[in-house]
Amino acid sequence: MAELTVVGKPVTRVDANEKVTGEAIYGYDLVLPNMLYGKTLFSTKAHARIKRISTEKAKAFPGVVAVVTGADVPWTHGESIKDKPFLAQGKVRFIGEPVAAVAAEDEDIAQAAVKLIEVEYEDLPVYVDPEEACKSGAVAIHEDFPKYRKVDFIVPGAHANIAEHFKLRTGDVAQGFKESDLVLEEKYFVPMIQHAAMEPHSAHAQFDKETGRLTIWVANDAPFRALHEIAEALGMPKEKIRFINPLQGGGFGSKGGLKVEPIAVALAFHTNGRPVRVKFNREETFISTLTRHEAVVYSKTGVKKDGTLMAREMTIYWGAGAYAEKSPTVCIRGSLPAPGPYRIPHVKVDGYAVYTNKPVAGSYRGYGIPQGAWAGEQQMDEIAKRLDMDAVEIRLKNIFVEGDISYWGEQLHAVGLKETLTKATEAIEWGNKPHQIKPGVKNGKGFACIQKPTRSPTTSAAGVMVNTKGDITVLAGTVEIGQGCNTILSQVAAEELKVPMAKVQMHPLDTDVIPYDASTTSSRSTYHMGNAVRRASIHAREQIMEAASPMLEAKTQDLDCVDGKVFLKDQPQMALTLGEVVRRKFGPEGVVRGDGSYTYEIGKDLDLETGHSDHASAFYMYATQAAEVEVDEDSGRIRILRMSAAHDVGKAINPLNCVAQIEGGVVMGIGSALHEEMVIDQTGKVRNPSFLDYHLVTSLDTPELISIIVECAEPEGPYGAKGLGEPGLAPTPAAIGNAVADALGIRIYDLPLKPENVYWAIQNKKKKDAA
Amino acid sequence: MKRTEPFEMYQPTSLKEASRLLKEKGPGGRFLAGGTDLVIAMKEKGLVPKYVVDLKRLPGLTGIHENKDGRITIGALTTMREIETSPVLTKKYPFLCQSAAEVGSIQIRNRATVGGNMSNATPSADVAPSLIALQAKTTIASAAGERTVALEEFFRGPGQNVMSTDEILTEVTIPKTSSRLVGEYIKFSPREMMDLAYVGVAVVYTLGEKEKTCEAVHIVLGAVAPTPIRAKKAEDALEGQILSEALAEKVGALAAEEAKPISDVRSSAEYRRAMVGAMTKRALLNAAVGPAKSWVERRDRRY
Ligand SMILES: Cc1cc2nc3c(=O)[nH]c(=O)nc-3n(C[C@H](O)[C@H](O)[C@H](O)COP(=O)(O)OP(=O)(O)OC[C@H]3O[C@@H](n4cnc5c(N)ncnc54)[C@H](O)[C@@H]3O)c2cc1C
Repeated sequence: MAELTVVGKPVTRVDANEKVTGEAIYGYDLVLPNMLYGKTLFSTKAHARIKRISTEKAKAFPGVVAVVTGADVPWTHGESIKDKPFLAQGKVRFIGEPVAAVAAEDEDIAQAAVKLIEVEYEDLPVYVDPEEACKSGAVAIHEDFPKYRKVDFIVPGAHANIAEHFKLRTGDVAQGFKESDLVLEEKYFVPMIQHAAMEPHSAHAQFDKETGRLTIWVANDAPFRALHEIAEALGMPKEKIRFINPLQGGGFGSKGGLKVEPIAVALAFHTNGRPVRVKFNREETFISTLTRHEAVVYSKTGVKKDGTLMAREMTIYWGAGAYAEKSPTVCIRGSLPAPGPYRIPHVKVDGYAVYTNKPVAGSYRGYGIPQGAWAGEQQMDEIAKRLDMDAVEIRLKNIFVEGDISYWGEQLHAVGLKETLTKATEAIEWGNKPHQIKPGVKNGKGFACIQKPTRSPTTSAAGVMVNTKGDITVLAGTVEIGQGCNTILSQVAAEELKVPMAKVQMHPLDTDVIPYDASTTSSRSTYHMGNAVRRASIHAREQIMEAASPMLEAKTQDLDCVDGKVFLKDQPQMALTLGEVVRRKFGPEGVVRGDGSYTYEIGKDLDLETGHSDHASAFYMYATQAAEVEVDEDSGRIRILRMSAAHDVGKAINPLNCVAQIEGGVVMGIGSALHEEMVIDQTGKVRNPSFLDYHLVTSLDTPELISIIVECAEPEGPYGAKGLGEPGLAPTPAAIGNAVADALGIRIYDLPLKPENVYWAIQNKKKKDAA
Repeated sequence: MKRTEPFEMYQPTSLKEASRLLKEKGPGGRFLAGGTDLVIAMKEKGLVPKYVVDLKRLPGLTGIHENKDGRITIGALTTMREIETSPVLTKKYPFLCQSAAEVGSIQIRNRATVGGNMSNATPSADVAPSLIALQAKTTIASAAGERTVALEEFFRGPGQNVMSTDEILTEVTIPKTSSRLVGEYIKFSPREMMDLAYVGVAVVYTLGEKEKTCEAVHIVLGAVAPTPIRAKKAEDALEGQILSEALAEKVGALAAEEAKPISDVRSSAEYRRAMVGAMTKRALLNAAVGPAKSWVERRDRRY
């Protein structure tokens, strides 16, 4: 491969200026001409039948243009299970479910009118605990569940509230436990948390009766998938629907699927062609959009005396909330690698995605990996402790290495795990015992390893246009959600067309003109869209070379490109700019367009009985994070002194951006480890739907971060790249949990490790020790 | 955030004018200082004042003055940032600067006033415990004249104080104190910053001239009762004694008994009570060591 000029360099983000100066327009900022303002009435009951809705008073309120309820919009949608109505139909299933909506001339009118809508409910039993919700006798939250349309990989459970039952079966765990010298069985818990993107949710919609076209402006992370979901729900041809994606102010998984879109669409059909904006405030975003799955994880592990893993059995209850959303795939892709990145001969996993009467759970940076790791990685440490082995040593004995066959039957390649393990632990001086300086304050170190798959198989397509000025425009459906994709993809185009970065710009995202992309999720974009943009750029370059060949009177193989010019390899002064070639070939307004697409070819589909697949993922991301903590025994307060994070990214297309992703991930992971939890009472009400009582970490709570990039090249990836968006927070809570256990000699099984929880754990141990 | 309902606003330039306005307009009005409590109440909590009277044009309500007789007066409109960075206070009462520094963020502290913090009367108000421990007095003015109320008597419950609706808090006065006075404020909350106190503890005592006995002991607790409260049994147990770790622990335990915390979404009453004990002990010992010299040191001393 020729030497890389832009790829692999710490290039400054292309959107840095517009974002730091506040000029960037996000979805939430968008104002359309002649726009109406929408407001939503949310359910105040977690599970109830709707006996009556009266909208007369709201409709009569001056300035109100439309009032809609479920009766006006009889559609349902859902990515893998079509279970969610646009507005509640006959019953409500969580507090925060949209029941009715108003469009009015301004926001205050809309809000006042919403208050005039009367709803009479009849209570039904409320389920807030996923394990309770699937016990025999629990009533079905979705009576019509069997009738819902489902994608073909869904395996409903034995109970009506189990939306998906994932099974992994390898070897014979009973035999494995029998052959083990030590068997450990524990229960872990991860609470429901919030994405807390800086920009809350919003959507704009407009329906043009004359053309029959529906246009939706929304910062959705997967516009093509959302378009498909809307088309399918409405029974409209896809060509009649257009998604325009403004910038997204962060999503972390919360802005995929349909959230505010159905409400805006429902209203748009009743406003005589005027566009409607529906904006959620922070509280509405908390209760009505999306959360991360709470998870109850039972983990049982058997090992030999020398630390060799023999068997692991895990049962995971994923609290899906009131609607399936992405729960089936979180359940599958989170449960499959939950036993950890280890060679284990006997494995059994049962993952259940269970409906409850809580806010809807779905994708969240990490897609099920943090929950499994919280249990699995702490149990690994506990085993090491009981065997009197070093925690690194027991990992080294069992971790996946190049060529291993995983317990789901796939041969692994490009496995950078060992390097991440070594580097992350060295960075916090693993071998040296932490200093105990202050009385009453205990220090400890810990780490955790993860492996994360990506959504597979999927497709990304891209176009690259070169004009007569030699400017490059990239058409790619990857959404700039703050992760830096516009910079990465520009680098790829600049690299392949050999132009300076400043020559490249990204086309705004509009499904009418942008080629198909599966989604900006699952850490898949650098790999998939990177490949597509690379191919499209090469395609454009080849066309330019071919056009230049007669102009320079040379064969294409004797030509080369550098710095925006095509030239003869042995006579570099014989050169034409790219723009000049385009102009001479196609005239002053000419454009050369290259196209490229990339689809990861999956092998056998996932076997629904065993969970086996020979290609479960296009690539795997590996990471180890290590933490040194201090715990105040008198208060239970934890301070993280330093944290290292080593991530195998395949190839860092932009090292600066990689470090930013790692740091952002770790900080988010620290929040979920120490503070974050949605407190939901027995009636299904969220008690802390604001940043006053839902604690994210601030910069002062952030320790010294040591980011380490490991590059174990993925042969299929662009320049060897894999992905990085999600793993940054996946091992963080488990690493901190292990450090806390090291400090205190107490294992804490439930997140978050907030001071009060740690304090009582310390007190309980003191009582036990005294007795 | 919601837009506020439309409201009338006045900006009087003298105390007289302000109280006349209140007489004319009648009940239902609100004073505006930094607005960090009031504006949020109006935008997020549905508070709709009949009218708003901005106090920021009234003369003489800002600033920190050291009087010849040793008293220090702090104008009600003095910001938290001014208190935090005041050379006079840093020298005499570093723990008071520390309590102001615990409020919100720098942006908030540049607007938030001491008068607003007192008048709003939140049980967790960060500056109240230190000021009560210093036996500060409030000056309250209206058209009818002026009166003085000890800060300890000023609070009446969450959001309640002794002032009638036409009264304005004009200043807070700290009486002359001994040069051997020491103190400490510890705000205990899960995050380092931008958090409400789960427990706030201010301790102030004067060290005996020869024997290092603790005299004129004041221990004041925030966020663990409907108002900031003094832990009098704990104070008595320390009065006249020489501080030791064991004694600090015992005094802390007494303070914990005196606290009347509630359970809420942030924490349980039992935990708050336990933290009163732990933080009182820590504050007493820290006070004896002397003030923290930097933010990092202050943070480290909370443990
Ligand atoms: C993000 C954020 C973080 C915060 N963090 C903290 C914290 O950590 N600790 C803490 O204690 N507080 C905190 N606060 C609360 C607030 O900043 C303080 O209570 C502040 O001191 C209030 O002062 P103000 O001048 O802004 O009051 P305002 O909002 O102007 O007024 C508050 C109330 O007092 C009345 N009032 C004000 N001045 C007078 C006067 N002179 N006479 C009579 N009545 C008066 C007003 O009518 C109003 O009812 C925070 C607030 C925010 C927004």
